[in-house]
Amino acid sequence: MESKRSKYILIILTVFCVLLIGLTSIHDEWLTPLRTGVGYFLIPIQSGVNRAGSVIYDEIVDYSKLREALEENKEMKEIITQLTEENTALQAEEFELERLRKLYDLDQEYGRYEKIGARVIANDSSNWFQIFRINKGSKDGIKVDMNVVAGGGLVGIVTDVGANYSTVRSIIDDSSRVSGMAMQSGDTCIVAGDLTLFKEGRLRITTVMKESDVKDGDKIITSNISSVFLPGILIGYASDITNDSNNITKSGYLIPVAEFDSIQEVLVITELKADMMVEEEPESVEDTSAESPSEEGTDESPSESGES
Amino acid sequence: MRRIIFNVLMILLAFTIQNCIFPLLPFLSASPNLLLILTFSFGFMHGKEAGMYYGLLAGLLMDLFYSGPFGFYTLIFVYMGYVNGIATKYYYEDYVTLPLIMSIANELVYNSYIYVFRFLIRKKMRIGYYFTNLVLPEIIFTVVTTLLVYRLFLILNRHLEEIEKRGDSTIV
Repeated sequence: MESKRSKYILIILTVFCVLLIGLTSIHDEWLTPLRTGVGYFLIPIQSGVNRAGSVIYDEIVDYSKLREALEENKEMKEIITQLTEENTALQAEEFELERLRKLYDLDQEYGRYEKIGARVIANDSSNWFQIFRINKGSKDGIKVDMNVVAGGGLVGIVTDVGANYSTVRSIIDDSSRVSGMAMQSGDTCIVAGDLTLFKEGRLRITTVMKESDVKDGDKIITSNISSVFLPGILIGYASDITNDSNNITKSGYLIPVAEFDSIQEVLVITELKADMMVEEEPESVEDTSAESPSEEGTDESPSESGES
Repeated sequence: MRRIIFNVLMILLAFTIQNCIFPLLPFLSASPNLLLILTFSFGFMHGKEAGMYYGLLAGLLMDLFYSGPFGFYTLIFVYMGYVNGIATKYYYEDYVTLPLIMSIANELVYNSYIYVFRFLIRKKMRIGYYFTNLVLPEIIFTVVTTLLVYRLFLILNRHLEEIEKRGDSTIV
């Protein structure tokens, strides 16, 4: 009797789950109220545990670092004298650099975006996915598709927002696709996360046109044609660019600027590319029509998931 | 009743530890899947139906955390609770070998499920790499944790059962 009942429940739950999977892959927004509701209950717990954990962990790290620091301090004092000398020489060059930068208008472009800070409160503990959760949500003005930066480089994109939390998929996640371009030559490429590379701290760069001028060490920034990523955010540096076997494209690796294994605080850019495009629409219609908005970066994206 | 509340709290705690504490430890290249351990041990200890409900709770928590299609994790966790519940007739308190073998089997099934539906589906074929770098470390960590945690559960559960029995007898 008991086993029959549990069998029925199992069947009901199975059907329920399969239906839900089907429905939510089409309409993800239906679940927002539920996620928000649970968020009210769960986020304070997560925040608290996270804070307690990091305090304890930081203490331990601080202590071990203190010993190292004392030793280092001795060495440093010697180095300082050498460096002061070099510094004066460099300062002169610094002024020159500044002038040249202005000349080329290479001043870090994303400095002008509005940003708010957030704390990472939870990570995915399995290594299959690279996503994390931050303690700011729609109450703080965060919306889906907002870009997340840390340490001077692109970290990821907001995929899900509750009232007091949001979920961020980092660019090293296996399903992440970012449309990028080389800063110097302006050639476009796709920066793709790859599970087989992330332990080495690298991402993949694909679909670089063969005739384009992307060299090792080039700065790769988010491109103008991306539908969800704001233009001009530094992603990382190109390395090991080689010709593909098809002789049409080149590919290689990207070393990201942001350090993904130790992210604790991030900045969320509170501007949306979609809004920017609406304002600019009269001038550049072809940009928006090239790819459907809010599709980029997901597995299904046809335009940016060119995986060989 | 008290045992159910205790178990539910354990699942909530495991979920928070798994997502908030483990990632803080950079020397852990992989971390034990606590929710999986809890789901299969509850199924194993308390039977199919109970296992299914605990699985449902664990799965829902996972689904709420991830932003993919909802129900993906619930489905696997419900089945895990149920299937392990079938083995409950072999449940014998101080017998730890079977739970260890089961934890390996469960990890393998769970990770294959993720691989097939999230990676193979996107033509990511390097199964050998994924196995040695992701699945194997997680299995090792999970088995070691099972060894530690399972014993603890047995003791706590026995304790709670005794308290319950005593409570019943005083009423009757």
